[in-house]
Amino acid sequence: MKKITLHFSIKEITPDREVVFESQGINEGRNVPEKISDLYDYSLSVFQKDIEPKAIRQEITIPEFSEIFQGNGDNDENTPVQHIFSLADSLELFAFTLGQNISDTISGLFSSKDFALAYMLDSIASASTDKAASIAEQYSKESAKTLLYSPGYCGWHINGQKQLFKKLKPERIGISLSDQFLMIPLKSISGVLITGKKEIHTFDNDFTFCAQCKTFSCIARQEHLLY
Amino acid sequence: MDILQQISEQIDLGDDEKVYELTATAIEQKIPVKRILEEGLLDGMNIVGKKFKEHDIFLPEVLMAAKAMNAGMELIKPLLLSGNIPMKAKVVLGTVRGDLHDIGKNLVGVMLKGAGFEVIDLGNDVSPEKFIETAKREGAQFIGMSTLLTTTMPVMKEVIELLRIENLEGKIKTLVGGAAVSKSYAEEIGATAYCYDGSNAVEYLNSVI
Repeated sequence: MKKITLHFSIKEITPDREVVFESQGINEGRNVPEKISDLYDYSLSVFQKDIEPKAIRQEITIPEFSEIFQGNGDNDENTPVQHIFSLADSLELFAFTLGQNISDTISGLFSSKDFALAYMLDSIASASTDKAASIAEQYSKESAKTLLYSPGYCGWHINGQKQLFKKLKPERIGISLSDQFLMIPLKSISGVLITGKKEIHTFDNDFTFCAQCKTFSCIARQEHLLY
Repeated sequence: MDILQQISEQIDLGDDEKVYELTATAIEQKIPVKRILEEGLLDGMNIVGKKFKEHDIFLPEVLMAAKAMNAGMELIKPLLLSGNIPMKAKVVLGTVRGDLHDIGKNLVGVMLKGAGFEVIDLGNDVSPEKFIETAKREGAQFIGMSTLLTTTMPVMKEVIELLRIENLEGKIKTLVGGAAVSKSYAEEIGATAYCYDGSNAVEYLNSVI
């Protein structure tokens, strides 16, 4: 099936200031010191200058995805994704990257002891990749909901990236895989966009791997489904 | 206010240029370098660390202070070396083999240096052998390992087993942390300590040296 290369504008993937601050433990309602506010403004200008956002997506059938999902057979025995994708209306493989420049800039800033700027820039870049995923999730029809599920999370083994890459070929937008299935550039995101009725995305977080989870992002995602 | 107090105060304010100038002046005034370190630079970072722990300031402000401290350290480091004045302890730090994420590890390194520890940062994708060879060669008392991925967590265990094989267990202590790592995992693999962030690593090291 056809691969579509997507273009995100810098403006649309610029994360909200509050989201970045929250990731740094500066929760809503707390006064942001002026020097942090100034640091954020400067970091944002560096971010917008350095990123080269690119994305790719490709429709895929349920049987095709089933094969990708099985991968090397290293997934957990029971995972939410295996129950969700079989009920989907449609599936698309997806990958997004901010490009290598921003990672190089962050590393360079740490080396030159500009720790606060490096950290702020890293926080903005991480929040931006999350925002890109959220934008990709907004393409669904009114009656349905799209959510992104990624290898390395919720029992889907990270080596699932290998099969995903074989099919989607994100190399075309500059993303490669390391031996340990990490995406390079680091500020990238990949997975399957599953579109279907809202109910198919809900599950109880009592899988084996949930005990080790530190993010509990599934709870926020499921709460979001209600709105 | 004496010059050492001024250094401390400017670190708290995160003004790296002022700290550089004041440290240069303190050196010119022949103030013993150990005092510049302890009563100026480290005192400033201690104040910052305490404020952070009490949630009075945020991490970016700690990092600005660390940059300011570093400006002073650049000036006194050669004097510390020539005077054989040791830092608190040596820590070999790295993200384990297979993992390229290093922001968390970098933050831990910044916090440890700010607390007066000597940090040898090996970067990311570090093999167990390299951790141990470096720790032996540098006479480090601690190895700090970080990973974000569950798939690379077993590398931490490899380091601990290699230390055991080389009879270095206990002599070189291991600290583990990172998004994928938990206290129970640290216990399971026999790590000396689990540190959930840089501030916690400083607290732990200060309690054992």
